[in-house]
Amino acid sequence: MNQKNNLIIGLIIACVVVMSVNVDADPRDFAEGLPNIGIMLKEITEVDSSLFVTAFWSMLETIQIAFIGTVVGVAIALPLSLLAARNLNNKFVYVPVRALLAAIRTFPSILWAILFVIIVGLGPFAGVLAIIMYTVGFIAKLQYEAIEAVDADPMDAVGAIGVSKLQLIRFVVLPESASHLLSQILYIFDYNIRQTSILGLVGAGGIGFYIINYIKFFEYGKAAVFMLVVLATVLIIEWVSVRVRDKYIVKSQRGKQIKA
Amino acid sequence: MQEQKGSPSPSISTLSIVQMNDVSASYDSKNYVLKNVKMSITRGSNYAIVGQSGSGKSSLLKLINGMMNPSQGKILVDYKIPNISDKKFKSFMHKIGYIPQNLGLIKNSTVLENILIGALPRVSGLNSFFKKFSDLEIDNAKKILKLVGLQGKAERKVYMLSGGEKRRVAIARALVQKPDIILADEIVSELDHVTAREIMDVLAEAQATMKLTAIMVHHDLQLALEYADRVAVIKEGEKVLEIGVEGDKIVDFQSGNYTQREILEMFTNESEE
Ligand SMILES: Nc1ncnc2c1ncn2[C@@H]1O[C@H](COP(=O)(O)OP(=O)(O)OP(=O)(O)O)[C@@H](O)[C@H]1O
Ligand SMILES: [Mg+2]
Repeated sequence: MNQKNNLIIGLIIACVVVMSVNVDADPRDFAEGLPNIGIMLKEITEVDSSLFVTAFWSMLETIQIAFIGTVVGVAIALPLSLLAARNLNNKFVYVPVRALLAAIRTFPSILWAILFVIIVGLGPFAGVLAIIMYTVGFIAKLQYEAIEAVDADPMDAVGAIGVSKLQLIRFVVLPESASHLLSQILYIFDYNIRQTSILGLVGAGGIGFYIINYIKFFEYGKAAVFMLVVLATVLIIEWVSVRVRDKYIVKSQRGKQIKA
Repeated sequence: MQEQKGSPSPSISTLSIVQMNDVSASYDSKNYVLKNVKMSITRGSNYAIVGQSGSGKSSLLKLINGMMNPSQGKILVDYKIPNISDKKFKSFMHKIGYIPQNLGLIKNSTVLENILIGALPRVSGLNSFFKKFSDLEIDNAKKILKLVGLQGKAERKVYMLSGGEKRRVAIARALVQKPDIILADEIVSELDHVTAREIMDVLAEAQATMKLTAIMVHHDLQLALEYADRVAVIKEGEKVLEIGVEGDKIVDFQSGNYTQREILEMFTNESEE
């Protein structure tokens, strides 16, 4: 038993070593490159504060891309997740919908962005479309899993009354999964802000455009301004989503303990 | 308060509302959980089912509302074959108020929202999407809330309620359906005696005013005999007895073979097993 475990651990370590050679992962390169970090850090501290205004406006664009993408993406994902849930549909419905969602998920957002830049041209609209696609693929999966986790007892009890499927969804499925769905939406919005920040890399709008260009020309001090703004935004959004979560998700459970 | 209900009068309403002819049922096509059950439940009566855990009581109720289908034999509920996946039966399902053993309430919804679910078969798709109910429906729901003793709790979330209150919600939801039949699976088993009787009285009153047939599974034979006109005793999937109180004696209606003493002995033996 123990020997078997040791063998497995040994095998995994062997794999890591062999694969590292394959991908040219050489710790000596890292050691040699260490002084570069010093140079970078030094330049980053030379923050060019005149750029804060530009950074602010480009961050605002990023937030708008992420917000539209999240809202529209969720609006498309929810009906799809209802169709993909095995406890609400037969397999002739959920199998094709799941296949579609899996296909959408195979692309990371940056690839969607490249695709949409080709279709609609450079600019934030391509970013919005990319975020929509990513959100649909990702959030629909989380949501159909949450829907499938809805307790079967109320579903059966209400189903036995002879209500329609839409009524069952409205009165059982959505209320019983609402807190999960809400917390997933907050999560994906937070995630979308961060990934929208890099979509500018491929010309799909937002703050990433500046970051990538300044880094390309070794202007770390300027890039740092934009990265600081991203960091501040992410922290603010984190703070807001914790508030929302407390208000709508955690409170209900606390109420349970006090009032029971 | 239930003596007058079982008394047959020579009209159409005395015909049985539930009829089972040699019904057998199983979950896995190997073991029968119910075997050759014959049952005839009089319209408007209060019928009880008792038996040990695992004897098949819940399955019997699921056969009546069509959640389960017999593998042999025939069931008629108000002259229809119950089957939940049959489109034709669907329009009749609201006539059966089913209160499952686990109640099946929506924990995160309010009491009122929960009991309005019983009215959904009368609400259009669009209105139900917006959770919009007519004033008539809301008044009716509130009347029933009062009947079950939940006045003032309409806006409470269900997860905040006590066990007894949750049972009242489940009863109210079933009553809002305006059913002909109430199927209740051990709704008072886990409650203390006082609360159990309060809830049984609520159901008895509703049954009398709304002219329902009540079919209730019980754990407690005493309670079953007290409230029901007839009590079916299920043992390992078979209906072994159908008894009731006549005057001050327990009578065997199924075969007529057993005396009160023999019936009571069967139960004292059972509890010692
Ligand atoms: N969904 C199911 N799948 C398979 N077997 C089941 C299922 N539900 C019940 N059974 C089995 O059928 C038998 C009868 O179950 P049933 O729930 O009808 O008993 P019960 O009399 O209601 O018991 P209790 O008093 O514990 O509620 C039991 O042996 C049980 O294990
Ligand atoms: Mg049971």
